[in-house]
Amino acid sequence: MAAVHGDAHGHEHDDHHPSGIMRWITTTNHKDIGTMYLWFSFAMFLTGGTLALGIRAELFQPGIQILQPELFNQFTTLHGLIMVFGAIMPAFVGFANWQVPLMIGAPDMAFARMNNWSFWLLIPAATLLVSSFFLPGGAAAGGWTFYPPLSTQGGLGVDFMIFAVHILGASSIMGSINIITTILNMRAPGMTLMKMPMFVWTWLITAYLLVLVMPVLAGTVTMLLTDRHFGTSFFNAAGGGDPVMFQHIFWFFGHPEVYIMILPSFGIVSEVIPTFSRKPLFGYSSMVYATASIAILSCVVWAHHMFTAGMPAVGQLFFMYATMLIAVPTGVKVFNWTATMWRGSMSFETPMLFSIGFIFLFVIGGFSGVICAIVPIDIQVQDTYYVIAHFHYVLVSGSLFALFAGAYYWIPKWTGRMYNETLGKAHFWLSMFFFNLTFFVQHFLGLAGMPRRIPDYNLQFADFNMISSIGAFGFGMTQLLFLYVMINCIRSGEKAPQKPWDGATTLEWTHLPTPAPYHSFEKPPVVQ
Amino acid sequence: MDNSTVGKQRKATIWQVAKAVMFAFMGIRKKSDLENDAATLKPAQLIVGGIIGGVLFVISIMLLVRLIVS
Repeated sequence: MAAVHGDAHGHEHDDHHPSGIMRWITTTNHKDIGTMYLWFSFAMFLTGGTLALGIRAELFQPGIQILQPELFNQFTTLHGLIMVFGAIMPAFVGFANWQVPLMIGAPDMAFARMNNWSFWLLIPAATLLVSSFFLPGGAAAGGWTFYPPLSTQGGLGVDFMIFAVHILGASSIMGSINIITTILNMRAPGMTLMKMPMFVWTWLITAYLLVLVMPVLAGTVTMLLTDRHFGTSFFNAAGGGDPVMFQHIFWFFGHPEVYIMILPSFGIVSEVIPTFSRKPLFGYSSMVYATASIAILSCVVWAHHMFTAGMPAVGQLFFMYATMLIAVPTGVKVFNWTATMWRGSMSFETPMLFSIGFIFLFVIGGFSGVICAIVPIDIQVQDTYYVIAHFHYVLVSGSLFALFAGAYYWIPKWTGRMYNETLGKAHFWLSMFFFNLTFFVQHFLGLAGMPRRIPDYNLQFADFNMISSIGAFGFGMTQLLFLYVMINCIRSGEKAPQKPWDGATTLEWTHLPTPAPYHSFEKPPVVQ
Repeated sequence: MDNSTVGKQRKATIWQVAKAVMFAFMGIRKKSDLENDAATLKPAQLIVGGIIGGVLFVISIMLLVRLIVS
């Protein structure tokens, strides 16, 4: 350790930091900011989850019992917005803040003050979103995609949502510029691009995608705002505008956004699987190429979200073929993860369980995605629970499971303590069971024709909805177990050694003590 | 970027850039070829190559689609 730091004062000096509330408000330390991102996203995850439980409680039985249709629509809308922009995205930025400097041997992020600003912007945005429930007319209720004319007609809640999206977009753009600059300029000597850990690669590509599409989203919501208040008619057919154009612009952001939420989880899984298989990642270079090609392809497939909005056959075929081709690089990735495990001396600690669960369930979500890409099928399942099932397999058992894998994997390095393995495994198996109970049956509901975003339904859908609701409450309660495991780990977990995972090879395990000191890599390590 | 400036550089041919981009679209690459790429290709060449590759990809699907609907 001393050889890396060469620091005569030892580690007491490294760990010096301000105390009290001002430590968190004024901090420019990537670890503090990463921690705040992670706690913020978990709080938002519980908020969005509570909304989901409200939705599932209403859908437990046919008929209207708990939520009136207006409030139900607000719940579905805010559940989507909070989970996408408040939970999943900030959680990945939290991982990037903690891990990117540690994995490339940098002392901190490139723009430390901007990093602080990126985080603190999230608080007013979240406040706008959550407080909009208490406005006259309630929160936005037109779905998380805020299509006009619903979003041009809604009340003050829509304006709150628009400003929240503006602020979150600004935060994401600053975060990505920070990550790109850090990765390109602050790598330790000897760490060439093709030696970077896979997690760093996936975040580099994700950050480029974010810089590309976040301004598009900002432009779209600004046009909505001027349509609502300043007399323009971008999306108003009566004034010469085009509501379908909104869908094209929104999904030009929205589809790459899907990959923004999944590429970093590919990165996490690509770190965890080699560690617990005790083998290097199979086909590292293929993984880098596959990630880049998924990113490029993600920009030319957006209209598969709107096959039923009306478009020429040429357009339908183009977007169908382009979408199906994404299965090729994604298949390469799944093959590589499987080949990494092949003949490895595997062990099944919680991070590995979540990663294997990720591969298994993400493949199901990927396949249902290819099914939805086929135009004639999509026209049947558009706006049904089949689509809900598809994207929850990608976003919950994809992104969220990878986030859990990453949290269990790195928590010893972050806190210096081990989590309780038995409880961690219980968290995995309960999540696995309740997740599938919730969402697998939604495939059947969708194929039987149950539309999404409705508070009431026909009697023939009753049984599967009841099963799905029981699963959802079980899944929600299971996440409180995760909270308990993490708090228990931080407060009273067993002390962790420098490298608790013997297959780990990245810099944070090989070159830093546990817990990682407050200031690390003041002198960069040399990578052979 | 340090990997492109280290050591003496051979100039990459257009064909080499095109090959790297084509393999990137499939998502696979032999290790020896990759190391050769890393030694000779500059990031700017790859970015320009990638954009051209993306445009060609879109055009080729468009042509295929037009062939089918005509």
